[in-house]
Amino acid sequence: MSDTTPVIPDQPEVCRTVDAEERGVWRRVMDRFADHCRARSLFVLHYCTGCGAIELPPTITSRFDMERVGVSPMVTPRQADILLITGYLSVKTLKRVILSYEQMQSPKYVLGFGSCTINGGMYWNSYATVKRLDQYIPADGFIAGCMPRPEAVQQVFLDLMKKIDAGQANAWQDYYLNYDRYLGNQMALFGEEWHTPVDVIAEAEHYGYVGDGTRGRFTEILDRHAAYALRDAPEDYPERGANERLLP
Amino acid sequence: MKQAQVPAVLESVLHEIPGIQITPKEGSRVRVDVAPGALPAILELLKGQLGFMHLSAISCIDWPQTDEFELVYTVWSHEQKMTVSAHVTIPRDPGEYVSVYDIHTPAGFFERDIHEMFGVRFDGSPNLRKFILTSWNGPPPMLKSFDTLAYVEETFQWVDYRPEWLRDIEAKGGGIDSEGEGAPS
Repeated sequence: MSDTTPVIPDQPEVCRTVDAEERGVWRRVMDRFADHCRARSLFVLHYCTGCGAIELPPTITSRFDMERVGVSPMVTPRQADILLITGYLSVKTLKRVILSYEQMQSPKYVLGFGSCTINGGMYWNSYATVKRLDQYIPADGFIAGCMPRPEAVQQVFLDLMKKIDAGQANAWQDYYLNYDRYLGNQMALFGEEWHTPVDVIAEAEHYGYVGDGTRGRFTEILDRHAAYALRDAPEDYPERGANERLLP
Repeated sequence: MKQAQVPAVLESVLHEIPGIQITPKEGSRVRVDVAPGALPAILELLKGQLGFMHLSAISCIDWPQTDEFELVYTVWSHEQKMTVSAHVTIPRDPGEYVSVYDIHTPAGFFERDIHEMFGVRFDGSPNLRKFILTSWNGPPPMLKSFDTLAYVEETFQWVDYRPEWLRDIEAKGGGIDSEGEGAPS
């Protein structure tokens, strides 16, 4: 801890301007403390795809009792920390998964459950099933197997807790830093009209994770959708100005 | 095995249909082969006179050898305790047939599904919009002529799966058999 303790210069404590470096140190200390607490109380979104859902009742209930380690199911994405993808994802399901994922509050963690989320599994040659989960949303970990047993599910939760505690479960930041790539992969499947209600770029700005890959040629298509949506908005509508130049 | 008899009750109702072929199957199943034009009349007769109220399924089979679609209408009667599957074949081109929505309402869903998966058009069906494959732009995927693997190779990417333990095995001359028995062709 000694190397991260902030050095406060000798000056009055009121109206002091905190320089960027010092704020960065404080932030790191607070983040580490928050990660330490966060790892001990995790909610898994109660949303199951494919056949892996059948392994969750024994994992959650008295036989294996996930709540012993502080992991518990949660019914709404806005209150959940972990999105557990329990098996194969059809193209239609993937849309719902992305909508749920974007509604979750950061920091959020995605775990791929079963071989299907890694490389398509036994549906490797199906036209309707997505092969790689991590092309569409960033994942923190995978469990191989078809099916993984509840012991394996618990193991991945313990591994994730260790990663969070060490501040290494940062896949959610990648969604902001490389949003254009993820959006491009999504659009390749769903078509260019694909867009979600969540303004991911605004979130990236809020969290401070705007990178070179945040905006790109695919997010420009999103801006065009917004421009069309605002076409009939009143003249003084606040969001109108920035998007108006994109109209044909 | 004793050849099952055509149930008399079915014979008495359906004998007037020209070109009909009734084949008893195992248990309470009866297969009926009819000309495409006669199928709605048969479903109507079965429903009205023998209580075949329940349309269990409509299935479609693509026969590339004869360039035909085979449509199978499976109906069940609670009164007769009997399943009748009525088979018709229609040419693949233009792949059009009549809807039986006015006889059995659930047919609307089956016809919508078959239209999506095989491209068969049902004249008079209430709704043939996209059903399950909402983002699909390709050809009907259940056709035998649709190359699933080529589509997958073109649309999706794979993880290059070469873990440490596999390299150890390969160094000793082993590995994953991608050519031999059981490998995808």
